[in-house]
Amino acid sequence: MKNGKLNRRLFLRGAAGFTLALPVLPSLLEDEAEAAPTGVRRFVALGTPHGAVWPQNMYPAAPQGPETMTYGGHEIRRADLDMTANNGRSIISPVLSADSSLLTEQIRSKMNVLRGLDVTFYLAHHRGGHLGNYAENDGNGMDGQALTEHRPTIDQIMAWSDNFYPNLSTILERSLVIGRPGMSANWSNPGSQSGVVQNITPESNSLVLFNRIFVPDEDPMETRPLIVDRVIDDYHRLRQGNRRLSAEDRRRLDDHLDRLDELQRKLNVAVSCGDIPVPTVSSNEVQNQASPAFHLNATAQAQYWSLLNDVIVAAFICDTCRVASVLAGTYHSDYDGDWHQEIAHQAELPMWPFPNTPLPDNMGPGPQAYTVQHHQRFFEDVFLDLVSKLDQVPDGDGTLLDRTLVQWTQESGSRTHDPIELPVVTAGSGDEWFRTGQYVDYRNLNSPAHTADQDNAVDSHTGLVYNQWLGTVCTAMGLEKSEYESGQYGGYGELILSTEGWYSGQGKYPSSVLDVMGEELPYLES
Amino acid sequence: MKLATTSFSRRLQGRRPWAVVLSPLAAALLAACTGIIGSEDGVPEGPDVPPSTPTDFSCDPDAVPEALPLRRLSDVQYRNTLRDLVTFALPAESEEVMTEIAFQTAQLVADVAANDGGDQRYAKFSRLDQTVQQAHIDTGYHTAEAVGAALTENPTRIATVVGDCATDADPGNDDACLDDFIRRFGERALRRAIDDEDVAFYREPAGTAPLEPADYADVIALLLNAPHFRYFVEHGQGGFAEDQVAPLDAYELASRLSYHFWQTMPDEALFAAARSGELLSDEGYQAQVQRIFNDPRTTASLEGFFGQWLQNSTLEPLDSRLGSPAFDTMRGSFTPTPTLREDMWQEVVDSAVYYTEQGGSFEDFFRSDRSFAKTPELAAIYGVEPWTSGEPPAMNDPARAGLITRAAYLATGSANTRPVMKGVFLRRAILCDPIPPPPPEAESVEIELPEDASTREYVDALTGTGSCGSCHIPLINPLGFATENFDALGRKRDVQVLIDPANGDVIGEAEVNTEVVPLVETTDSRTAANAVELADQMLESPKPYACFTRQYFRYTFGRLEDLDRDACALADVKHSLDAGAPLSEVLRTIALSDSFKQRSFDTP
Repeated sequence: MKNGKLNRRLFLRGAAGFTLALPVLPSLLEDEAEAAPTGVRRFVALGTPHGAVWPQNMYPAAPQGPETMTYGGHEIRRADLDMTANNGRSIISPVLSADSSLLTEQIRSKMNVLRGLDVTFYLAHHRGGHLGNYAENDGNGMDGQALTEHRPTIDQIMAWSDNFYPNLSTILERSLVIGRPGMSANWSNPGSQSGVVQNITPESNSLVLFNRIFVPDEDPMETRPLIVDRVIDDYHRLRQGNRRLSAEDRRRLDDHLDRLDELQRKLNVAVSCGDIPVPTVSSNEVQNQASPAFHLNATAQAQYWSLLNDVIVAAFICDTCRVASVLAGTYHSDYDGDWHQEIAHQAELPMWPFPNTPLPDNMGPGPQAYTVQHHQRFFEDVFLDLVSKLDQVPDGDGTLLDRTLVQWTQESGSRTHDPIELPVVTAGSGDEWFRTGQYVDYRNLNSPAHTADQDNAVDSHTGLVYNQWLGTVCTAMGLEKSEYESGQYGGYGELILSTEGWYSGQGKYPSSVLDVMGEELPYLES
Repeated sequence: MKLATTSFSRRLQGRRPWAVVLSPLAAALLAACTGIIGSEDGVPEGPDVPPSTPTDFSCDPDAVPEALPLRRLSDVQYRNTLRDLVTFALPAESEEVMTEIAFQTAQLVADVAANDGGDQRYAKFSRLDQTVQQAHIDTGYHTAEAVGAALTENPTRIATVVGDCATDADPGNDDACLDDFIRRFGERALRRAIDDEDVAFYREPAGTAPLEPADYADVIALLLNAPHFRYFVEHGQGGFAEDQVAPLDAYELASRLSYHFWQTMPDEALFAAARSGELLSDEGYQAQVQRIFNDPRTTASLEGFFGQWLQNSTLEPLDSRLGSPAFDTMRGSFTPTPTLREDMWQEVVDSAVYYTEQGGSFEDFFRSDRSFAKTPELAAIYGVEPWTSGEPPAMNDPARAGLITRAAYLATGSANTRPVMKGVFLRRAILCDPIPPPPPEAESVEIELPEDASTREYVDALTGTGSCGSCHIPLINPLGFATENFDALGRKRDVQVLIDPANGDVIGEAEVNTEVVPLVETTDSRTAANAVELADQMLESPKPYACFTRQYFRYTFGRLEDLDRDACALADVKHSLDAGAPLSEVLRTIALSDSFKQRSFDTP
């Protein structure tokens, strides 16, 4: 271990406490140049509801003299991710701003901000779209192209890929699914990719999650053989018996047997996390005991997510899990009202319709002010909290963050109910696959979607397809295209060319855009 | 004075003389209007024809019902069964054991309530979650191990659980002792008869005598991991044939009854009826159905059904806007507490259970003029004394129309009523009518609005023009407007007080208009003067009865209904409702239907 780096014990003492506050280690900055691929990749997907952050609040200012190229039939752009400092705050954009101790130059250099990625059909409220299961939505397809067939999400494809997990000897949980339901889905029989696609029930109690990835010290007296073999025999006994069962009964038994095989594998995992103190406080306790009430208590919300982030980091340190998905709710603001209607669905309004409720300072006018506050707090309290913790744990010649891709996506683009210009904010290079420190703009500036006017601050354009981003992530995480691609076009996720006349993306995805969907997005590969 | 025609966003720039707070769904529903209304099969119909739920279930005796394949115990059922098995094995220390395994049970996976898609807010049942995920297998395995360890923690417990023969000085009787335990405990855990082959299989981890505590623990853990413990394994009578449909055997029937009505394993009397075969006779079966239904344990299951079906999940905490000028003016001296919302939800459930237990009909429950408010706070909203026991107090208010005017469906948590939300709830949860999903671009609606507009006028103006009106006018708004003579706490009002949201000042009054054309039935264009007449029209329609039938079917069978293949079971319940039978009889009817007593092995 290099001088000055944290060891597990130091980190995990923090993990056991209420919140994890790690000091910034200058030595890690020096290590960055030495980082080299290790073949171990990790992935964290963070999702938030609604979106509807105006572009000028979400993205960096238009760079001067960006590098450009023609791709997908239109001009795209990239520039170094610019950041300024003001009064102890580091600022990439109003949303992407934080205390300078968290949003450091090192973190900036490991981030990417992507703009101009769209879902090609109307997709309003959804949970599964972040990771490619667009059918997990509240209703689409008024043009007769409603999505009903659910598909596994990319985190689960990774979790069951031999290319992502070439060696499972330390893996207790193939993935952690955290927060609200609907973000992650997989086959009922993931091993054989058969059965039905079902949502994976998330867990939000950090202590419960911790116990899934934690291996306590072994009791040397524990030498009894496990009964799991006999449990498997019991299911085989029923499955292969001559008593009457339906074909679907047998399919469910096969699913269960596959799960038992996975349990058996996990019960034989040999890994040492024995020096990790078990946390004494859970996220649920923080939520339930918050005063003022949790939904109005920014401090408690930060503690809640910090405890959940600690579990992800602890899992990565122990190498008992390498994939996590997190779907957050609508907290993270001071607004004590009906967020869905009064904020999210009015986010385009340039003025504030509730004069008795004060607006947050320096966040802009109207409902957008709370939208910005909500997203800025998520960025600082959840995204950066996780990213900075990952970046302070050594891993090979770099840090855990260097082996990880953390992505933050939002339900909608810059207008609510609208999947155009879905923001993608990332950190980490995914084991040196990603070139980082960039602001990449894939929009086609000759293809307007929404046009700003006096009632609407959103000026948006169509660009490349979000499926291409998901495919790029899969490739970066070591998956073969045959593991995730299907259908006529590349990338990951269903492609529907909407014919709904009111939809601003209708008819704006030419073959030049669709034909490149199977490629890795330009500017991203290192 | 009329405001100039303007967009919604522009209009909001002007000073509003009263608090404007639309429901969360309002914007979504503003956006729901494209001039096309989906029919039941998804085929667009004309804009003037609201969709309708099927209300007539035609039983084809030859139709093969669907069946949920290898249904698993719900989270609640799994926990209850563990508790009851522990109590069976170690009655004096069951609470201690459940405390000792609390770490493992805290890891169990909670079920996620679901409905038939579309609007995800109402009428969702956790029994519809039939996913089997890795966490189910993992946590169940570790819980079983923990139960085994706890039940065999010391010789005293082993003696009670397994028998004195397990702890006496004679190791020669250990094998017989264990075999006897497997037969007794195994029958309860697996909910079926245990034969010699089973005994041989489940005793294998214990090895040969002399047996140690860990040997007994392993046997218990193995039994609690068995497919017959975690699932409802059903082979049907004569379980070797290839029939598409077969009647359930006695143990399978016992499980269906106990888990449907009690959410847990059969009791000793039910096991005895299964063991003896008495349950397979009509007389024996009906006697058990009656006994089970009359058992107090049924109440929890009834609460589960009515609570999940009728919960208004969009009701916000009623104390969340204390301090807001508009809300404070609206509430006056009434100060909602943090528990008032839950009290409102519970009142609906209590009313359903009361009429079920007192022999009331669905109509009695629907029209009830009684208050089931148990707290002074909620009772004050109705102007009655809290209900403690016996006959609930009458509201004596002719404006109250029963279920649809209970506070849970009138209150909002804000200063304003939410007619759109009220209408969606009644249309979706009570009538089971579908409503199309929302498209975007909802904000730009051209409206004209008088300055002293009521909430009704505001919502009408906002949603009644353009394509929005094709959904809101016929389907949603009227059902909500009919109860506009109640304020946002569910209190009766004669006028709507207009409040300046900036300072809470009362600046005027607006007329309350509850007259609507509810279009409960597509072809029924009658006017309803108020909520009472709306309730009349609803009860004259077959829709609430059909909707109740469909929701109860889902709760019973843990799946969505197939209107053709499941029509016989649906028809049984619906006929009972149509005949005005007591709710208790209606709820028992499902257990008497052929579908409940048989199993389909057909694969569609």
